[in-house]
Amino acid sequence: MMSLPLASTRRQLEPGTFEIIAGTAIILAWVILALAAPLFSGADPNSIDLSGLLQPPSADHFFGTDHLGRDVFTRVLHAARIDVWMGIAGVMPPLLVGATIGLVSGYAGGATDAVMMRLVDITVAFPFFVLVIAIVGILGPGLFNYFVALALVGWVSYARLVRAEVLVLKNKEFVAAAQALGYPPSIIMARHVLPNTLSSLLVYATTDAVLVLLAGASLGFLGLGVQPPTPEWGAMIADGQPYVVDAWWICFFPGLAAMSLGFGFILTSDGLSRVLGR
Amino acid sequence: MIARPKARLLHVENLSIAFGSMPVVKNVSFALDEGEILGLVGESGSGKSITCRSLLGLLPRNASVGGKIGFEGRDLLGLSSEEMRTIRGRDISMVFQNPSSHLDPLMTLGGHVMEPLRHHFGQTSKEARQNAIDVLRSVQINEPERRVDAYPHELSGGMKQRGMIGSATASRPRLLLADEPTTALDVTVQARILELMRELNRSHGLSIVFVSHDLAVVAELCHRVVVMRHGEIVEEGPAREILRSPRHEYTKLLIDSQPSSLALPPIVRKHKAETPLIEVERLSITYSKPSVLPGIRKDAVCALQEASLTVEAGESLGIVGESGSGKSTIARAIMRLVEPSGGEIRFRGRNIATIRGAELAVYRRKVQMVFQNPFDSLNPRMRIVETIAEPMVRHGLATRAQALERARGLMRQVELPLELADRKPRQLSGGQCQRVGIARALALDPEVLIADEVTSALDVTIQAQILRLLQRLRSERHLTVIYISHDLSVVRKFCDRIAVFRAARLVELGSAEAVFERPQESYTRLLLESAPRFERTLELAGASDE
Repeated sequence: MMSLPLASTRRQLEPGTFEIIAGTAIILAWVILALAAPLFSGADPNSIDLSGLLQPPSADHFFGTDHLGRDVFTRVLHAARIDVWMGIAGVMPPLLVGATIGLVSGYAGGATDAVMMRLVDITVAFPFFVLVIAIVGILGPGLFNYFVALALVGWVSYARLVRAEVLVLKNKEFVAAAQALGYPPSIIMARHVLPNTLSSLLVYATTDAVLVLLAGASLGFLGLGVQPPTPEWGAMIADGQPYVVDAWWICFFPGLAAMSLGFGFILTSDGLSRVLGR
Repeated sequence: MIARPKARLLHVENLSIAFGSMPVVKNVSFALDEGEILGLVGESGSGKSITCRSLLGLLPRNASVGGKIGFEGRDLLGLSSEEMRTIRGRDISMVFQNPSSHLDPLMTLGGHVMEPLRHHFGQTSKEARQNAIDVLRSVQINEPERRVDAYPHELSGGMKQRGMIGSATASRPRLLLADEPTTALDVTVQARILELMRELNRSHGLSIVFVSHDLAVVAELCHRVVVMRHGEIVEEGPAREILRSPRHEYTKLLIDSQPSSLALPPIVRKHKAETPLIEVERLSITYSKPSVLPGIRKDAVCALQEASLTVEAGESLGIVGESGSGKSTIARAIMRLVEPSGGEIRFRGRNIATIRGAELAVYRRKVQMVFQNPFDSLNPRMRIVETIAEPMVRHGLATRAQALERARGLMRQVELPLELADRKPRQLSGGQCQRVGIARALALDPEVLIADEVTSALDVTIQAQILRLLQRLRSERHLTVIYISHDLSVVRKFCDRIAVFRAARLVELGSAEAVFERPQESYTRLLLESAPRFERTLELAGASDE
């Protein structure tokens, strides 16, 4: 889905192209680092070395070691596997749920719309984090449950976004033309309305990826995300928090990693929104 | 007739305007005398509006301007923005195309008129208010004492445009720039606005630069005409001379494209059918506005009231009326895009409201529609050839490959170059998009084609091409056409019978000849008189010459 508009934007070199190239380069760099983590660092991210606790960054340990003597550099790279996946895959469940609901709600209107939108109102009434934490708290910690919680809470923004677009689109003459040509509603929604909302969906999804990534890291920080000893940036920052004064590197490098990936998503989103004219 | 021109007021020399490296106006020179009305005519992209805006220094920042604009002995292009501001609205003012978007919705009509008075002449609000009422009276607004406090949304389109002209002329400018001031208005309103401008010219000696795409309007109003194309002046001279004996090919093309001078090949109709193809009987349609709370009384808007008409196979029925007359509503009802609230529509004797399933699919195939806005009526994400092929696939008339092949055949029929097949709508011109819309409608091989203002968004030369195309298709395919338009001259050329709508009612129905030559209703007569008619203007001009 992402490659299609990108291909066309590169050809035309409109304003925003630079942001997209830089942003996707950062994201791709992290994807490669995550996939090829063992190549960059031969160490085992979970091997405990009690003889080398809290070592500052050095030639042996680029990012130093943590309170259990684990190599922070190796752990940051391996954590990328979780965090990059979390950012990219985490937006999909709410996007799919939200876009479907928004599409049907906006196109059908009437009672369907009224019910759906009240559901949105109810969900929005709770702060995002509180609801996510509550759901993960009930379901139990873990990446899968985090995705479930995201789908249950995050869909509302997508639903509102798509519904608003659909309300505009359905009064366009090409939708009337499709009706006049006798196409069934499902085809009109899927072939004529939905594709025209994709650009805004894409822009929002890349912005949302940052939120999802940081929310996931925050959950890790709270101990509700990926369970130890699996490396995850948020959990690593939480681990390093007691030592932040003496061993700043334990928190600093995972934080830097999360920031750079988030920056990549934001750049991409910014560029996309310019290129797609929003 | 008119006061003889006295002094030179405006002198434009070698004006060139470019956006980046793209020139939009190239070396344009023209002059305007005091008390003169100059028409600036051209199609979209001719640079006429940009030229007009440059006279007020209202160009976008990225525009680069060269040349000289002499106004009362000063070069406007050499003035600082500070100096330019004192000229704007006091010596030169401007009226825009769409009064609704150029009036501040939070400011009263009087406020708009008072602003230049207070700004340029430092009048107190009391003085300005009294003057504003006088100005509103001079632009023929009824009850100016009351209207002075009205907000734009409380006024009709014509009233808003009068207000805007009032605001522009309040400070008694020497020169009024009017950029398509009547394009967004109905013909009856247009006629009165033109009359007002003529009156201001006559009584106050106001000089006017009138920018328009509509040659007929310019012919009626202007003393002299400048014809522009692609940023250049192709011809210039007294209105009568240019319109009667144009020298340049393009001016000739413009004149030949006028609907009234358009030559359409006659159509030989097959023998007359016994029963009409479509019967509309006492059709009423009301739209209910959604209420704030569910279950509360809803406001209903009546879009069509008890209209009855028939459409014969093979004929072309024209439906004319001004905005809000219900002419598009009846088309949408025939398409089953809106539900009737009373009466019925029969197709070959069957009530279309009751047909379902496969029968409905057949009906959809038989009756097709082409929409008004060429860009809006095509899915921006679909390739042209897919758009045309899709109906055949969805109706199971062809496999995808066959449909794509047939779509190319249809493109040929509507005279679209085949290399456009893989383009998206935004890469096409308005006329090309409209051809795609026609090809898509023809894909299902319909018997009836409803054309809803299909040429109103197009340039007149493109309109002529589309009309010729429709006429050809009509005779080749024995199409029945329902042609909806606000433009009487087009309808007269194209239609066998004409239905006139006004305020949700059918007021007159008859053969084209009868309606135009012997209109029965006063409203029809008003419509006919209001429409700027090219040949009539020429006749008048010719008569007054002798």
